Amino acid sequence: MTLFGLCKTMAELTAEKFIVPILEFQRNLFPPFSYPAGDLADWFASEGGIVTLAWIYAVNIAFAVGMTNLILVIHLERKIAARIQDRRGPMLSLRAFRELGEDLAGEAPTWRFKGNYSGIGIIQNMADGIKAITKELIIPNKADKFLFSMGPIIFISSSVFLLVLFPLSDRFAASAAPAGLMVIMAAFSIAPIGVLTSGWASNNKYSMIGGMRSAAQLMSYEIPLLLSMAGVFLLAGSYNPVDIVEQQREATWLFGLPMWNFIPQFIGFIVFMICILAEVERVPFDLPEAEAELVEGWTTEYSGIRYMLFLAAEYIRGFAGAAVATILFLGGWAGPWPVPPEIWFLLKVYLIIIFWIFIRWTVPRIRTDQILELGWKKLLPLSLINILIVIFMVEIYPYFDDIVNLPEVF
Amino acid sequence: MAEMWISMGPQHPMTHGLWTLKVKVDGETIVDADPELGYLHRSVEKMGERRKYFMNTTLTDRLCYASSTTWTHSYVLAVEELMEVEVPTRAQYIRTIMLELQRLASHLMWAGAYMPDLGHITGALYFWRDRELFLNLLELPSGSRLLYNYMRIGGVKRDLPDGFEQKTERILKLFEQRLDEYADLFENSKIFRMRTEDVGKFTGTQAMNMGITGPNLRGCGIKHDLRVEDTYEIYEEVDWDICTREAGPGYSDCFSRYMVRIDEMKESVRIIRDCFKKMPQGPTMSSRVPVRASGEAFRRTEDSRGEALMYLVGDGSDRPYRWKIKSPMFTTISACPHYLKGYKLADIPAIMGSIDICIGETDK
Repeated sequence: MTLFGLCKTMAELTAEKFIVPILEFQRNLFPPFSYPAGDLADWFASEGGIVTLAWIYAVNIAFAVGMTNLILVIHLERKIAARIQDRRGPMLSLRAFRELGEDLAGEAPTWRFKGNYSGIGIIQNMADGIKAITKELIIPNKADKFLFSMGPIIFISSSVFLLVLFPLSDRFAASAAPAGLMVIMAAFSIAPIGVLTSGWASNNKYSMIGGMRSAAQLMSYEIPLLLSMAGVFLLAGSYNPVDIVEQQREATWLFGLPMWNFIPQFIGFIVFMICILAEVERVPFDLPEAEAELVEGWTTEYSGIRYMLFLAAEYIRGFAGAAVATILFLGGWAGPWPVPPEIWFLLKVYLIIIFWIFIRWTVPRIRTDQILELGWKKLLPLSLINILIVIFMVEIYPYFDDIVNLPEVF
Repeated sequence: MAEMWISMGPQHPMTHGLWTLKVKVDGETIVDADPELGYLHRSVEKMGERRKYFMNTTLTDRLCYASSTTWTHSYVLAVEELMEVEVPTRAQYIRTIMLELQRLASHLMWAGAYMPDLGHITGALYFWRDRELFLNLLELPSGSRLLYNYMRIGGVKRDLPDGFEQKTERILKLFEQRLDEYADLFENSKIFRMRTEDVGKFTGTQAMNMGITGPNLRGCGIKHDLRVEDTYEIYEEVDWDICTREAGPGYSDCFSRYMVRIDEMKESVRIIRDCFKKMPQGPTMSSRVPVRASGEAFRRTEDSRGEALMYLVGDGSDRPYRWKIKSPMFTTISACPHYLKGYKLADIPAIMGSIDICIGETDK
C-alpha cells in the first residue's frame, strides 16, 4: 500500500460518508439555488474529485511529516550545540571548578529540579513560535512595503514546497514526478529571489549586501551542485528519486556489498556535500547573514513571525538538502529488512544533519571572495572530473563483472 | 555597485564597545574608513583632579573592564614615584602575579570576543569558560571579579590567602592542557587560517609610526616590551622571554597577532610559576605612605593591550594637579584606516577584533 493509495482510500471514504451527503443535503435544502452544491456533489462522487482530495491528503501528510522533522532538527541543533560548547545551564563555572577538586567549589548551591525533565526541552520550540507570533511586525518607514512582505512569502513557500517533493520511500511519496530531482533543485533555486527581494526592500545597506552575497553565492554554487548530481543521473539513467534509489539498491561490489553512489563517485559526493551546505546557507557558508559584520544580513529589518519564518525555512531547506544527499549518494531508503525503509531514510538524513551541526559549531565562517573562489576554481573542475569518472566506469565495468555489478540502464 | 558609506556602530556586533566605524565600500572592498571615538568619555582625568590620590584607584579600575588591575597598577606606580614610596619586595611579587593573572584573563576575554567575529561562537564559550577560572583566582585575594581595586599606593590591599599557590598551580595546569587542546580547533584549523592569514597587514615600521604598541607591535616581529625595557616590579628577576611573531619579514597579520597573544598567555603562566618559586615572606604594604605630593611623575607600563602611560603633577596638596592618561588603544584604533583599506567588508571584524579593542580606556 503506497501513501497515495492510502490517501485515495481515505478520500473515497470521506467523499462517500461526509462530503457528498452534506452537499446533497444542501442541494435538496433549497432546490432553486442548488447549483454550486449540486455540481460539487457530483464532482466529489466522480474520479476527479476523489483524486484531487487524495492529493490534498497526501500533500498534507508530507507537510506534517516535514514540519515534525523541522521541530526535531531545531531541537537536535540546540542540544548538540549545547553539548559541544559545554553549556549545561547555570552550572558552567561550578563544573569547571569540580574538575579541579571539590574544595574549590566552596559554597556551591546544590539545589536541583526534583524529578526527571529530560526530553521536555522540545516545548521550547513552541514557546519560541508563540513569542514570534505575538511580537510586533515592524515595517521600516522607507521600505518597499509590498516587496518587504513578499520576501518571506517567497522564501517560506518555496521551502515548504520542497517538503512534498522528495519521497521518504518508494511507497511513502506525495509526489513521484519522473523529473523529481530536477523539480527539487528548481524549487531550491527559487529562494534567492526571496532573499534578494527582502534584502533590497528593507532599504538597509546591511540587508542589501546580505542579499547580494546570497545571490552571488547561490548562483555560483548551483553549477557545481548540478554537475555533481549529473554523475548520479548518468548512472541511474533517470531523474526520478525512486529509480535512483533502485539503481543503488541493485548495484553491488566486493562480497556482494551494496555499492551506494558515494563509493564509486566519492569526488562527486564531496563536491555535492560542500555545495549543498552552501545552498542551504549553513556555517561555514552562512555569509549572507554574517552577524559579525552585517548584523543579521538580509533579515536585519525583519521582526516577529516573519523573522521566525526565515529561520524555519532555513531549517526546512537544510532538511530537504540532507534528504536529497541521502537519495543521491547514501542509498536513500535502502537498508536491511527488519527496519522499515522510511526509518532508514530518516536515519541517514539525520546522520547528515548531525554532521552539519558538528561542522556549524566547530568552524569559522569563510569570506565572500574565498567562497566564490572555492566554488569556481575547485568545485567546478572537480565535479567535471566526477562526470568523466562515471562515464569511464560505465564503459569499463563489464570487464570487472565478477566484482562489480551495475544494473543495466542504457 | 557604487561606492557608499556604511556606518558600523555605535551599536554593532563588530565594535566591542561603543564607537562608530564609518567605512566606504566599493562593492565588498573597503576604500576608506573613518573611526569615531568618544561615546564612552567619562572625563576620568578631570574627575581625578578633584579626588585624593588614594581615591583615584576606583577610577582607574574602571578604565578598562577587561584589564582593570593593570591600569590601577600603572597609576599606583606613577603615584609612588611622585611620593617616593618604597614598595616591599613581597608586595612587588604579589603585584606581578596579579598583573599576569589579569593579563591572562584579559587575553582570554579578547580571544573569546575574537571568535564570534570570525563566526565561531564555540570559541567564545571555550575561552570565556577558562577566563572564569582566572576570575575566580583574582577573586580570592581581592574579593571581586571584575573591578578588583587591589593595588594600593605603597603595596597591595592584603596578603594572598592560604592555599592560593596550590589553587593557582592546579588552574594553570588545566589551562595549559586546554590551550593545547584548542590548538587543533583554532590555529591548526584551515578555515581559521584562511580568515586570519594575510589580512590586516602592517609592517613594524608602520606600526611604530602610527603609535601601535603591545602585542600588535610584537606581532610584527619587533622585540619591544616595557616589562623589560622600562622594567618595573620584579620582572627582571623572573625567568621569561618576550614573545614575538611575524607573518612575513617585518609585518604582522591577524594570525600573527593572535599567536602572539597565545604565546604571551603561556609566558604569563611561566612568570606566575617563577614568582611563586621566588616569593619571599614579609610585609605587603609600605610602612610610610604620604598623603600629599609635589613635583611630577611619569610611568609607563605594559598593559594587556600596549603601553599605558600615566603622567601626574602634584602641587603639594593631597590631590593631583594634573593627571594625564595615554591609552594604547586610542592610537591603534585611530590608525585603522591605514590597515583596513583594500580588504573586504568581511575582514573588518577579523581585523578590528585582532587588535583587541577596549573602548573604556580609549575614551577614558
